[in-house]
Amino acid sequence: MALLVDMRNIVKVYSNGVVANNGVNFQIEKGEIHAIVGENGAGKTTLMKILYGLEQPTSGEIYIKGEKVEFKNPIDAMNKGVGMVHQNFMQVPSFTVAENIVLGHEPTEHLFLDKKKSIEVTEELSKRYGLFVEPTAVTETINVGMRQRIEILKILYLGVEILILDEPTAVLTPQETNDLFKAVRVLVEQGKTIVFITHKLREVKEISDRVTVMRNGKIMGTLPTSEATRGGLARMMVGREVFLDIKKTKMKRGKSVMAVKELSFVSDTGRAMLRNVSFNLYEGEILGIAGVEGNGQTELVEVLTGLRNPAAGLASVGKNVVTGKTPREVRMAGVAHIPEDRLTNGLAVSASIDDNLIVDRFFEPPIRKGILIDYDEVEKNGEEMIAEFGILTPNGQLPVSSLSGGNMQKVVVAREFSSSPKILIAAQPTRGIDVGATEFIREQLVEKRTDGAAILLVSADLAEVMSLSDRIITMFEGEITGVFPDASKIKEEELGYYMLGVKRQSEVEMEALL
Amino acid sequence: MKIDLVLKGVFSALFLASIMRISTPLILPALGGLITELSGSINIALEGVMLTSAFTGVVVSAFTQNIWLGVLGGIVAGILFSALLAYFHLYLETNIILAGTALNIMATGGTIFLLYVLTGDKGNSSTLASGMVPVVVIPFIKDIPFLGTVLSGHNIFVYIAIVLTFLIHILLYNTKFGVHLRAVGENPIAATSLGIPVKKIKFTAILISGFLASLGGLNLSMAYLSLFQREMTAGRGFIALAAVYLGGRTPWGTFLAAILFGAADALSTQLGTLDIPSQWVSVIPYAITIIALVVYGIRRKAQIVEQTRRFQERELAKVNNNQS
Amino acid sequence: MKKFFSNPAVREVLRIFIAVGAALSLGFIVTLFVSEDPVGAYKAFLLGPLSKFNRFGDWIEESITLILVGLSVAVAFKANLFSMGTEGQLLLGALVSGSIALFVPLPAVLRIPLAVIGAMVAGFAWGWIPGYLKAHLDANEIVSTLMLNAIALKIYDYFLIFHIKADDAGYNASDFFPKEGTFQSFIPNLPFLEDVYTLFSDKTNITIMVYVLIIAVIAAYYLIFRTPFGYKLRMVGANIKFARFGGIDTKKTIILVFAISGIFGGLAGAHLTMGIHTKLIANISVGMGFEGIVVAILARNNPLLIPITGLAYGYLRAGANVMERSSDMSREMVFVIQALIILFVTAERFLPTIQKRVEERKENNTHTEKLAPSDGGSHED
Repeated sequence: MALLVDMRNIVKVYSNGVVANNGVNFQIEKGEIHAIVGENGAGKTTLMKILYGLEQPTSGEIYIKGEKVEFKNPIDAMNKGVGMVHQNFMQVPSFTVAENIVLGHEPTEHLFLDKKKSIEVTEELSKRYGLFVEPTAVTETINVGMRQRIEILKILYLGVEILILDEPTAVLTPQETNDLFKAVRVLVEQGKTIVFITHKLREVKEISDRVTVMRNGKIMGTLPTSEATRGGLARMMVGREVFLDIKKTKMKRGKSVMAVKELSFVSDTGRAMLRNVSFNLYEGEILGIAGVEGNGQTELVEVLTGLRNPAAGLASVGKNVVTGKTPREVRMAGVAHIPEDRLTNGLAVSASIDDNLIVDRFFEPPIRKGILIDYDEVEKNGEEMIAEFGILTPNGQLPVSSLSGGNMQKVVVAREFSSSPKILIAAQPTRGIDVGATEFIREQLVEKRTDGAAILLVSADLAEVMSLSDRIITMFEGEITGVFPDASKIKEEELGYYMLGVKRQSEVEMEALL
Repeated sequence: MKIDLVLKGVFSALFLASIMRISTPLILPALGGLITELSGSINIALEGVMLTSAFTGVVVSAFTQNIWLGVLGGIVAGILFSALLAYFHLYLETNIILAGTALNIMATGGTIFLLYVLTGDKGNSSTLASGMVPVVVIPFIKDIPFLGTVLSGHNIFVYIAIVLTFLIHILLYNTKFGVHLRAVGENPIAATSLGIPVKKIKFTAILISGFLASLGGLNLSMAYLSLFQREMTAGRGFIALAAVYLGGRTPWGTFLAAILFGAADALSTQLGTLDIPSQWVSVIPYAITIIALVVYGIRRKAQIVEQTRRFQERELAKVNNNQS
Repeated sequence: MKKFFSNPAVREVLRIFIAVGAALSLGFIVTLFVSEDPVGAYKAFLLGPLSKFNRFGDWIEESITLILVGLSVAVAFKANLFSMGTEGQLLLGALVSGSIALFVPLPAVLRIPLAVIGAMVAGFAWGWIPGYLKAHLDANEIVSTLMLNAIALKIYDYFLIFHIKADDAGYNASDFFPKEGTFQSFIPNLPFLEDVYTLFSDKTNITIMVYVLIIAVIAAYYLIFRTPFGYKLRMVGANIKFARFGGIDTKKTIILVFAISGIFGGLAGAHLTMGIHTKLIANISVGMGFEGIVVAILARNNPLLIPITGLAYGYLRAGANVMERSSDMSREMVFVIQALIILFVTAERFLPTIQKRVEERKENNTHTEKLAPSDGGSHED
């Protein structure tokens, strides 16, 4: 088959030093369905963003049909026939389906819109590629599957030949996924080429012709799907992690401090993100949740910390139910939370470091003195935190925005740890921060656990999960697929199977261990 | 009986005709507010635009003794004034409310100041021989009983307002520009991803809004009245914004909402003769706007709750089926 | 040298100076064209309030109103809530306090505090409404407060015209307030202060409201920066999601912020009636509420700086009055200058425009990594 896209020696280094792509050679043949798999941080999304023009490579070249190209923005890429179907739909909710599909390049008759033509074009494209949509339906009323088809039809309208689908089934129900695959096959019949990014190995086997595995910014291999097994792919994806040198004394865990019973959650778009999740969290342990992002971990954390209400089930700390309550009530029950998005939830960037450190205790003594806040105490608290957690700043009155990413996270950690919580929920605690801060935070987590706290660790960094956790739970598609009571005894590949849904423990097996 | 007289007055053709005239200086800036609102900006400076154009129209028409040059002058002044707002907001990144408020203050003070400089009078421009735009008498229609009085014989701005509402509807829903404008207002990220120039469109929207509002201002000083009076806009620029919301952010909705405000105004004067305080009536549209806000908010909340409930029912049923 | 100028606080002050300077210069240029004696006129403008005692008094009185409306706006804006409602709160505060001053038969020592409290309650209530709508229904606060302003004006006019004004009055105004309902001079009439008293009370009409004002400023400062409520206010303003995450009841906070903003607005109304006009008149305030926005913005919503910007703004207004009385320039020119100042100061890119462009060009060459995605969905890779 002809070589359609040839990406040579792509290197992408971000300004904070992270090497997202490290000399990647990637080729796409015309008319194929090519899957790219890898864990979070593997570099697959970055590579596609470069192909799509959203990012520019630090070095390396791209050739399309033998012609060297440079994409400064997505419009350039679309002009050369490369289009991306985003996870976040780029649609105007109040417009009709047809209007969204032709947006930006509407057919006109003289000065006016040719609305009939828009509908005709939509129907024609829809029929040709087997992507069913209702041209006159209002976009915000239709289901997610159709909204995704709008995104696909949009780029087809612009004449792309290569369609990049970024985790397309992440938002779809199983039925919708089937419909999507049918459509993908039709697209290929019609001469299009498809690249899709995913971590769902079942789907890779079902739909793709070839599959490329990426890990740590490099390509581990490309092979015809017929020759790949899910287990083999999992092994390539997960590989042999470098074990982090974290000193951890063996702990005998205490009693259960949090009981999660049959927790279910449905997203705003109607998808079940958590399905009957149950487990216990014990004193003196770090329970790690291993899984590729998007399998319900985020929602689990949100439900357990009062940011969202579950659809069913509950979690309780002792006698107190903590689900369906306000964040304040959850905190009062002894639960602290390091959020996965520190800039959105964990910090008020324009406020001072001192102020950020007291959001969970400003209404109680010693910070509160009578009807006022004792700012001497606040400053003292700040000084102590800064010293104890090694936050690099001349003083605590400066705004958080003056800190580096790692130090910002230290502020979050300092606050959450210092409240002496019974339970600490840490989501992606070392994401996007420097090595020094990362080491420090991991040590702190272990220390807290040795002191008797119960820690729930959610992390897309498998090495981190394996090194820090005492016990590991794997999550896939909103369900717990496996429990491993001794993290030191499990191999990455094994975990990989459970994380990627290749293997699954039975209810009976898990019950005793949860 | 006094009530009889009033009722007769209210249901008279003259009264309905007066509603048309009173509403026009609300319809025009409201249409302007609609355009910017749909493009994603709140044009809080409509008041200032109207004052600027009202003043400029009077001055230019007096000095050139040409009505149409006056109108042109007013329009140009209004557009330039809006360009200032657009520049400060889009290119110097000033918060639009602050920039708009500043410009309103500048217009209020500036027009009085220049009025004084040019006429030595701070109250109005009566010493200037400014003009009034012509009144349009529609043949045939003018002879229809009742309707004739209502529809014919207004100043041109009344008819312009109706025609413009129609044109704006076409602009927004039947042209590429209109579609792009609405896309920019609702989802600028989507618009950018498709190559639509967001800033340029927002800028243009503010200019168009200025054009429309300046027609409203000219209406005040060259049709409704025949001179410029200090602060003559009397808050119409803000009522215009309310009309946009009350009208559900559509051209004809805005038109009707503006007429509602105008009608309440007209009615309140009529009822003054009945010893009913005019305030009780003139307050109605404002109260309605707030009620509309409340109703809208409650409905949206209810919708979200309902949808969540339906999704949960469906998915939980599936989950439970799998388990059992 | 470069380091000195890159200190943000220095840049801020510099920016304000340049803005004010530019605006004043532009004003002078206009005066050159318009006035027969531009230098004299501008001198009256710039030095007027200091030239005579009663002018000084006017300046202070005017500034008190401005500072109060500035505080009202600042309280809301600091929480990132764009309340335009000060105008309406002011009107109702004036109405309530004026009515009490006129009609409640109590001795001054009771009547006046009652009137002031009444104004504060009226302002609180009128602020509570849009607060509740915003917190529980996410209603656009700009529209709701503008509407409430208009409604407040109707209520004010209605009561003034139909219940308060004397039947034989020629125009829409109440009688003058009796002595029991008027603020006294801020210097008490005590024997050992006689000279000071004569000096101030004859020449100026500065009232005891000055003391109320000082208390208000300090109270506002403490409220915002030293109380738990103020902490909630500031965190809601800095990042409402963080506030919620941290456990703050944002709905309750939003409602209280609007309501407290209303208290200051109401106080401003009390001052207008009982201090400045000593009666209720139509058009008692034309856009004072909006000028509060200017005062607050220039002070970056900091209650301690608001007296300064309020006095500065008030100085310009008083100077414009003097200029009008003693030259051929009309006082409205000051509005143009004020507007220019606002525009220049709030244009975030005004001073740093050139510098920012240079920096941005440098930044485009080294791309910065996006931290954890906040639009949810696309997984960092």
